[in-house]
Amino acid sequence: MLLFDATDGIGVDGLEDALTRAFEVIRRALDNGEAVVVSLDDRHVQGLGTTGQVAYVHGLVGLVRALAIEGHKPGWHVVALSSTPDVEPSERLRWFEHLGRPGPASGGLVRLGGEHLGRVPV
Amino acid sequence: MTAAIVTGAAGAIGTAIARGFAAGGRAVVCVDRDDRVVRLADELPHAVPCVTDLADADAPDAVAEAAARAGGAAVLVNNAGITRDGRAPKLDADDFRLVVRVNLVAPLRLAEELAPQLADGGTIINIASRAALGNFGQANYVAAKAGLVGATRALALSLAPRLRVNAVAPGLVETPMTQAMPPDVYGKLVARVPAGRAAEPAEVADVVRYLASDAASYVTGQTLFVCGGRSVAG
Repeated sequence: MLLFDATDGIGVDGLEDALTRAFEVIRRALDNGEAVVVSLDDRHVQGLGTTGQVAYVHGLVGLVRALAIEGHKPGWHVVALSSTPDVEPSERLRWFEHLGRPGPASGGLVRLGGEHLGRVPV
Repeated sequence: MTAAIVTGAAGAIGTAIARGFAAGGRAVVCVDRDDRVVRLADELPHAVPCVTDLADADAPDAVAEAAARAGGAAVLVNNAGITRDGRAPKLDADDFRLVVRVNLVAPLRLAEELAPQLADGGTIINIASRAALGNFGQANYVAAKAGLVGATRALALSLAPRLRVNAVAPGLVETPMTQAMPPDVYGKLVARVPAGRAAEPAEVADVVRYLASDAASYVTGQTLFVCGGRSVAG
């Protein structure tokens, strides 16, 4: 399994490199038959943070969806997991392991922590 | 009335947006790398053309200069976009990069550089896409448009309360590109739209004008899907 951790500190000028690199790394892993879990900070998913960082994280969510749609036939498994800082590392690890097993969650975004409740869904 | 800046104004949707604003009495800065915007600007009252490639680093300066010539702007519509479709296993990294540059980086650079110059109470409208929710053969476009939807939230928060920032996410729209599709391909796409047809560009433009108007004065940080129900269909 590839755990792709979204880089922090991406500005608008760094978006092109960061998203292209993410695409290449994730595609390579999927091509090699690995499952992929993309790890995100849920605050960025909520839209909190710099414009560049939030755009990067949402771009990754889109990438996960697109690759899951394309990977339906070859059986690619790619999923996004976001969490807030208050989520225990052991709990995050448990979810990584669970989501890293190929299954019907491909393309989805699983959100840990309750901060997203009451906000427009992504 | 201060001007509206419309990027990608030479395309079908951009032209409809520019014409819509002009019909409402607003001056329009028509931006495109295609010099057909010069002819469009000639047709519209109080319009200023700006021929520039938004992929270039100095494009925001050119747009700002054109906006100044129009007497200042209150509205920025980030409409310009490109596609470079391909199945993910074969998708060229350079094509991925270019689509992100034009569809995501360029509008954000424009927003960051022009926001301080937009009139108080002004608005930025990003033209995203229904594809931000996922599409086959468009990993680059989906990532870029999803990024733009997210950035709309961040910009709305950082620019409030002085400016409002929203996104419009069109689905299938009647354009020269869709009209050139083989009838069976086009028919399959239309069959997935509950409205039973593609949108006319003016139907997208109408929603953009709504978001730019006082009728939407309490709307910010939102993405409005203009897709004939496609985004809620199976």
